Amino acid sequence: MTDSRPSSFADGLGAALPIALGYFPIAFAFGVAATGAGLSGVEAFALSLIIYAGAAQFLAIALVTGGAPLIVAAFTLIAMNLRHVLYGPALMKRAGPGASRRLAWFWAFGLTDEVFGAALGQLARGRRFSEAFMFGLGLGAYASWLGGTALGAWAGGGALAGWPVVEAGLSFMLPALFLALLLSILSRVQLPAIAVAALATVAVTLAWSGTAGILAGMIAGAVTGVANRRAGDAG
Amino acid sequence: MRAEILLLALAVGACTWAFRVLPTRADLSALPQGGWLSRFLAATGPAAIATLFTASALPMVQGGAPVPLLAGVAAVLAVFGLTRSVVGATLAGSAGYALAFAALT
Repeated sequence: MTDSRPSSFADGLGAALPIALGYFPIAFAFGVAATGAGLSGVEAFALSLIIYAGAAQFLAIALVTGGAPLIVAAFTLIAMNLRHVLYGPALMKRAGPGASRRLAWFWAFGLTDEVFGAALGQLARGRRFSEAFMFGLGLGAYASWLGGTALGAWAGGGALAGWPVVEAGLSFMLPALFLALLLSILSRVQLPAIAVAALATVAVTLAWSGTAGILAGMIAGAVTGVANRRAGDAG
Repeated sequence: MRAEILLLALAVGACTWAFRVLPTRADLSALPQGGWLSRFLAATGPAAIATLFTASALPMVQGGAPVPLLAGVAAVLAVFGLTRSVVGATLAGSAGYALAFAALT
């Protein structure tokens, strides 16, 4: 697919649909888990509104309810989100030299793992980058995340306890979304980077921690791309 | 709302905003095509998404749920192969995982 017209806000909203479908149940599960762990509905919603990073939010529940000191909890969660520094340059490189970033201070707030993946997938399939598109993409995902959290917090802790099959299906929504996003940007030239990233993630997660595994996987995969002379042209 | 939770959210939210926004300001116009930094950035996306898939699926392998996991992965691959739809593949993967889970319990 190659589209020569500038991508619009509505195009972004449309591209956000798979993320919104994936986010809503996960955010619902977050709202349920947070209220089940003793946070109020307002506190659960505030974490989604302000932090807007799923894995960090689930970890925040454990840290807060586990009595971790504020400074320790903050540094742990900040370290967990450090991977996001890689997304902006990678996206802007793919967007091309003329891409505007004047309003990035606003739309890039929504540059989550999935929004980044979806944006790359759209660009790989010929979509032209625009800030309006990024607003639409980010807003669709953010609205779904907030809506799911609010509904989960309203439903309250234990809402899924009587529905183990539904809970199981929801638990695979995020891996399924990542795999589908990976397939959407898959190219033969990037296979070594993908394989090394997966192996490094497994090795470092098993040897150290999940957060370290994520950082190690991303960096090892990207460094593998440096060794691949054809990767720079593949985008 | 407890003040310590609001403080935590604000501190982590501010840093996450900075991690996401500030690197978009990097001037990439002088990057030579095919240079090492270009290759690094080009590989970052696939590597990041592969990492996140692995990290999210690994606990399922460790938790002893390989059959639902395999069913979910197979459903994603099949539906994406047939339709090229990220939405359809995601929903099919979730449904495949749930059906296999239900069949085993």
